Amino acid sequence: MARKMLIDGEKGNPNGEEAHYDFDLFVIGAGSGGVRASRFSAQYGAKVGICELPFHPVSSEVIGGVGGTCVIRGCVPKKILVYGASFGPELQDARSFGWELNERLDFDWKKLLHKKTEEILRLNGIYKRLLANSGVKLFEGEGKVVGPNEVEVTQLDGTKIGYSAKHILIATGSRAQRLPIPGQELAITSDEALSLEELPKRAVVLGAGYIAVEFASIWRGMGATVDLFYRKELPLRGFDDEMRAVVARNLEGRGINLHPNTNLTELVRTEDGIKVRTDHGEELMADVVLFATGRAPNTKRLNLEAVGVELDKIGAVKVDEYSQTNVPSIWAIGDATNRMNLTPVALMEGGYFAKTVFGGEPTKPDHTNIPSAVFCIPPLSVVGLSEEQATEQANGDVLVFTSTFNPMKNTISGRQEKTFMKLVVDSETDKVLGASMCGPDAPEIMQGIAIALKCGATKAQFDSTVGIHPSAAEEFVTLRSVTRRIAAGKPKTNL
Amino acid sequence: MATSLGTPKLSSPALQTLCTYKFSISSFSLTHCNKLPIFRNFNSLSPNPRRICSPSFNTAVRAESANGSEPARHYDFDLFTIGAGSGGVRASRFAANFGASVAVCELPFATISSDSTGGVGGTCVLRGCVPKKLLVYASKYSHEFEESLGFGWNYEAEPKHDWNTLIANKNAELQRLTGIYKNTLKNAGVKLIEGRGKIVDPHTVDVDGKHYSAKNILISVGGRPFIPNIPGSEYAIDSDAALDLPSKPKKIAIVGGGYIAVEFAGIFNGLKTEVHVFIRQKKVLRGFDEEIRDFVGEQISLRGIEFHTEELPQAILKSSDGSLSLKTNKGTVDGFSHVMFATGRGPNTKNLGLETVGVKLSKNGAIEVDEFSRTSVPSIWAVGDVTDRINLTPVALMEGGALAKTLFANEPTKPDYRAVPSAVFSQPPIGQVGLTEEQAINEYGNVDVYTANFRPLKATLSGLPDRAFMKLIVCAKTDKVLGLHMCGEDAPEIVQGFAVAVKAGLTKADFDSTVGIHPTAAEEFVTMRTPVRKVRSTTSEGKADSEIKAAAGV
Repeated sequence: MARKMLIDGEKGNPNGEEAHYDFDLFVIGAGSGGVRASRFSAQYGAKVGICELPFHPVSSEVIGGVGGTCVIRGCVPKKILVYGASFGPELQDARSFGWELNERLDFDWKKLLHKKTEEILRLNGIYKRLLANSGVKLFEGEGKVVGPNEVEVTQLDGTKIGYSAKHILIATGSRAQRLPIPGQELAITSDEALSLEELPKRAVVLGAGYIAVEFASIWRGMGATVDLFYRKELPLRGFDDEMRAVVARNLEGRGINLHPNTNLTELVRTEDGIKVRTDHGEELMADVVLFATGRAPNTKRLNLEAVGVELDKIGAVKVDEYSQTNVPSIWAIGDATNRMNLTPVALMEGGYFAKTVFGGEPTKPDHTNIPSAVFCIPPLSVVGLSEEQATEQANGDVLVFTSTFNPMKNTISGRQEKTFMKLVVDSETDKVLGASMCGPDAPEIMQGIAIALKCGATKAQFDSTVGIHPSAAEEFVTLRSVTRRIAAGKPKTNL
Repeated sequence: MATSLGTPKLSSPALQTLCTYKFSISSFSLTHCNKLPIFRNFNSLSPNPRRICSPSFNTAVRAESANGSEPARHYDFDLFTIGAGSGGVRASRFAANFGASVAVCELPFATISSDSTGGVGGTCVLRGCVPKKLLVYASKYSHEFEESLGFGWNYEAEPKHDWNTLIANKNAELQRLTGIYKNTLKNAGVKLIEGRGKIVDPHTVDVDGKHYSAKNILISVGGRPFIPNIPGSEYAIDSDAALDLPSKPKKIAIVGGGYIAVEFAGIFNGLKTEVHVFIRQKKVLRGFDEEIRDFVGEQISLRGIEFHTEELPQAILKSSDGSLSLKTNKGTVDGFSHVMFATGRGPNTKNLGLETVGVKLSKNGAIEVDEFSRTSVPSIWAVGDVTDRINLTPVALMEGGALAKTLFANEPTKPDYRAVPSAVFSQPPIGQVGLTEEQAINEYGNVDVYTANFRPLKATLSGLPDRAFMKLIVCAKTDKVLGLHMCGEDAPEIVQGFAVAVKAGLTKADFDSTVGIHPTAAEEFVTMRTPVRKVRSTTSEGKADSEIKAAAGV
């Protein structure tokens, strides 16, 4: 089965000592991590093959596309829809600045959807060219691992071809999961949500993670009625509690109906739409029900168990600090390893993999102080520790500096929405352990702050930086008064 | 929040008052628990503090608290501040927090400043940063309307702008802010005196005939726009007037290439005024990084502003129909409803009595001060635009805060002018910190330059020709990031965090080790892998980077 194919221009093994392989590296999955690892490995001189499923906006076991989740079903299309949705409230605000607009503003979902698809197709093409330009051989089809140095690609017509590779890299990412409740087939995941034929008038979102709050914001901004259900008291588990409360307040302020501590129990198709039942006995009707209840690694059909690659309970590939699995020739990066499921982290892991394996420079990705953003409206962005984490981890007392303010734009628009910022500081070392912000431009603002945190900047260094006036960001360098001091080892009360 | 005076962002006055109250109390008590031990340490560790601070400061908090070795003269105030703008209010409040008795005088409120009008809050709040930014917000909408078309939004009729609504809302906000500032002073225990302050002697200030004695006098009277004296200059307006016109200009000539000129050009262009900008040089924004100057000029032109380069205004002529013509060395352009001069600002040092007490001024009328903001008269100090150091609100705040510390917290503090970031709210805006490429080459010789010039995600959908440009200048020897520049949407917000990094002396390697936030524009600053050029004092090697740039996102 694992017949070796000769590739054009293939070099013979010059010293004849090592086993001959078709490729130095074969990558399964051409998303952010896989493409980065392939390109960089090729730049180090490795001969690289990569396989990816055929393109489609909605993924499954057999469809995907070069570019992966980020480009086709994640960051990029999501951000495009967030831009589209943000215009809704923005345009409302324009009136106070003197602009005369129609009472009702018209929004054409199909036009945006069409332009979004155009854009991701363009990016998909760019990614393919990037691979071609760096000399990476792209195969379309489903990849499987059949031995420590053998992969098999099932092509579109069903034929299977085997390739040998000195190293195999698993970069197959992850996929949205559905909640197993009656009528679950009526619900959609984020994949479909990015490609709906019609804009829903009534949307129900289940989930508390970033995907849930982002889609709730998108649909609300476009004018839909949105009901957001989640199991806990607050959305965005894992984030700083105070920030979670701020996000919840803002979502509500923007007109999203929040249903904390609530689960969905059943979905029923009716003539009027989908009837949604909750565990509180409520019923409501929806045009669309989105399950944003988590994502799982795409490892099921890779045949990993057969070659002895260890997986964890949820199916993530277990790797060491260098992204190597327990089978030394097999490596894994990105969401498939479920470390920190972010595009730039997959890029880092992919780049460091190439450096380690082909650059002669073993490099561990560093997963500390990685900034991230939630593109709800207004967005949240964080880097470093939450107040709760800091209280747990710091040796000494933790100083918390916060600022709540009405953004200048709101002074004219009258929008009642505060921006909230926070720095968490170790009182012994003066190091800034965490920074967070919820408000317009937070993700853009946080990037520079992230460098400072990554390099161990102190509060004194923040204070010695002069502000840029008038900006929201300047608040981060003008936080003078401690909002609270938390004694070492004493977490503040839970929200 | 309330502690950062330069950033008035609260909506309801009641809430503001509440917060101000709460915060000034907390900062006051914090001040005490933090500063008092330092005060003691300072004395015990250094028996002769004069050795540490070059000028000799008498740091007794109150005149009456002097220890008796020298007879204390009684003054009405420990500090009398002339001018309640950003710097003056900051210095006064902080001084009061340190326990000093403080008075500040300011002219009565008016949107347009003169020898007899001003207002608590000063240029920043009443005639600068704040109203300017509010108008930038308003004018940016026309671009957003265009963008939104690409995202599926439609307008039955083209949105029209009503100038009066905007100006009324803006003025209501300014009234609110000047009220907040007054409250802030009051809550800090600073006595506010309305009137024109004039120095009588090194320890006496005259306000409209009434004399006040003070141990220290602070001059923080700021600057004012300056219109050159050419025929017809009486028809011209300055930025004060431009922020408060009774009606929107139909066609405006803006003379000048500085940040005020490009900001107002963007404002009026966004509000659908026909805008012509006349600049003396080939490019706008002298002093900024050359590549940024080129880029912003190009982007501004694409939005429909017409530039007239290397043109010097010679006269303004008024025709019988009331329209104005601007005559320059190259010709005459007719049909302007307004001609605005943004040709510079000068320090407000006239009629302050400075010459009589011997306070030295520079050639352009700015007050000369030492590193601690002290003038040639030991009891007289000056901060902010009146000293013409770096004329930015946050710098005046820094100088004011440092002065309060120096005088009343026994902690002589020099303002630190390294890596002061700044922004230009042109459309698109600019943010920058550190050195320009030209400065860096002069100072360090060998530098590596990284740039990114890209079409933001929003523009790929909107179809508009908007781009963003980013630039890092790195010291080849130490790897330190010497300068960081950006022109593009959100640049001022983006640059603030990077300013912390640049100020802290971080290296390019530190930038590279930071993970990006995806998808943002800002992440480009941490994903610049290959220099576009390595400038060496002997030779300069160039390298095309377009392909690498295209790949940066992957």
